[in-house]
Amino acid sequence: MMPLIDVQNLTVKYGPRTILNAIDITVEEGEFICVLGQTGCGKSTLLRLILGAEQPTSGRILIDNLEHPRPDRARGYVPQKYSLFPDRTVLDNITFGLELTAFNLFTRWTPGFFRARRHYRKEALNYLLKLGLREQDAQKYPDELSGGMQQRVAIAQALINRPRILLMDEAFSALDPATRRETQSLMKYLWKENGFTAMFVTHNTREALLLGSRVIVLAKDHADSPSRIVLDEQVPQDWRHHEDAWIGRLEQASISESVETPTTASRAFATAKASGTTRQR
Amino acid sequence: MTSAGLLHAKPGRLMALVLSWTLFGTGALWYFQAAQTRHAENPDDRVMPTIQAMGRGWWNAVMEPPEDAEAMPAGATIWQKLTSSMLYKDTLATGRRFFISLALLIPAVLLGLHMGLFPYVGAFFLRFFLFFDKIVALSLLPILFIAFGIDELSKIMLIVIGVAPTVILDVFNLSKGVPNEQIVKAFTLGARDFDVAYRVVLKQILPRVLNSIRLNLKAVMLFLFAGEMIASTDGLAYRIALLRRHMAMDVIIPYVLWVALLLFVVDLTMRAANKKIHPWFREA
Repeated sequence: MMPLIDVQNLTVKYGPRTILNAIDITVEEGEFICVLGQTGCGKSTLLRLILGAEQPTSGRILIDNLEHPRPDRARGYVPQKYSLFPDRTVLDNITFGLELTAFNLFTRWTPGFFRARRHYRKEALNYLLKLGLREQDAQKYPDELSGGMQQRVAIAQALINRPRILLMDEAFSALDPATRRETQSLMKYLWKENGFTAMFVTHNTREALLLGSRVIVLAKDHADSPSRIVLDEQVPQDWRHHEDAWIGRLEQASISESVETPTTASRAFATAKASGTTRQR
Repeated sequence: MTSAGLLHAKPGRLMALVLSWTLFGTGALWYFQAAQTRHAENPDDRVMPTIQAMGRGWWNAVMEPPEDAEAMPAGATIWQKLTSSMLYKDTLATGRRFFISLALLIPAVLLGLHMGLFPYVGAFFLRFFLFFDKIVALSLLPILFIAFGIDELSKIMLIVIGVAPTVILDVFNLSKGVPNEQIVKAFTLGARDFDVAYRVVLKQILPRVLNSIRLNLKAVMLFLFAGEMIASTDGLAYRIALLRRHMAMDVIIPYVLWVALLLFVVDLTMRAANKKIHPWFREA
């Protein structure tokens, strides 16, 4: 079977620094991939490459056997923040994708647009309710909603276009623990229900296990070396029976050698503290 | 008082009201007092006209045509008098130039937007406008008079040249400041380039653009007055410059207050409109 996402020998350099080196990933339709790694390991870069928001130095990414070098409807996107348009109500945020797909700058002033918008709003309201928001929330502006509600709207906004691929970048990282758990189970439910393929970037090991059908860990060998895939495994249904072992293994894998020894800055701080030169508050 | 902390000492409602009007009150009182004293010494003093004299001057400006125009016929109605009065004609002339200049700032806003979003447009214009912005517009005045003559065009060009680069660069920065997530998100929802420019970026920077234009209103007025004072046959600034020769402070002072009031009203209207059109906007 042909993979839905095919990442081939991907390398990314920022100036002289190599961030990612020789990355190969194949994703089958219907998988839920969680990309795990520490801050600065290039996991968000990987997501932005698949999204088309950034270009690789070498290698290529095929979506359904075609290159998509720019962000487009082939992939839905839910970033950590700024995903909602602040000038649109919740409902108009959700219908925006449908509007853009069917109408352009000029045809959106024809009567056909306003007729179609009534249907879009009905559909958007269904999505809104499915994602656990109330009808009263429809006319609110994004900044009148809590962070958790905002992310739910952002998911609805992306899903209403029925993308085959949904890319999420630390989508739940800014939420408080209770809201986060709720949104995670909602996400898992939506994935099972709708059958899209998901790629979810996170630095939270539990979250990766909870959501993913497969976990990929990115890490560096040394502080200055590029990141590579150090672990790529299916998450079994019964991972909870060996929860501690799984978490331990994934966290061990994501720690690069450089982090185990203190960095120069923290060593300097430790020395200063020991000799009593740090300022007391 | 000190133990409470000055930073936390908040005046009550009445106190705040009194405090905010104190300077107006003392200013008016001081003027009244000084004018009375001067007039006691010299009844013909022209530097500080009394409140009554200014009232008379204002009344004449509102009800009488300017000196260089024909006098109103005896049976004219109040409306006819008002609409052919000096103040009315001057305000109309200045207002016309003012609003034409504001309208000409709309292309400046659009240019800034495209410079911020489309790299080719930015590469083409940015360096030029960064340089252009530093040219002192008033120093161009003689060149403008030579190039465009001394009629309306050169005055409006002065305003546009003086204010447009600031607006362009401001809008450029505002469009650059829109988070990249918003643009990427719009593309994943099926947007095309110009959907992003007009329906995503322009729409959400518009309240800030209006605020930027509000801040630049004073510069618009400044260039407008410079142009009118040097070469014009009507307008509020022309009148002020003309009356200076007669030392007619009884009309100049009301004119200055009138200009301030007009600008205040325009600013207030724009702010209210901004709030009304963009209920989602929270001022940072």
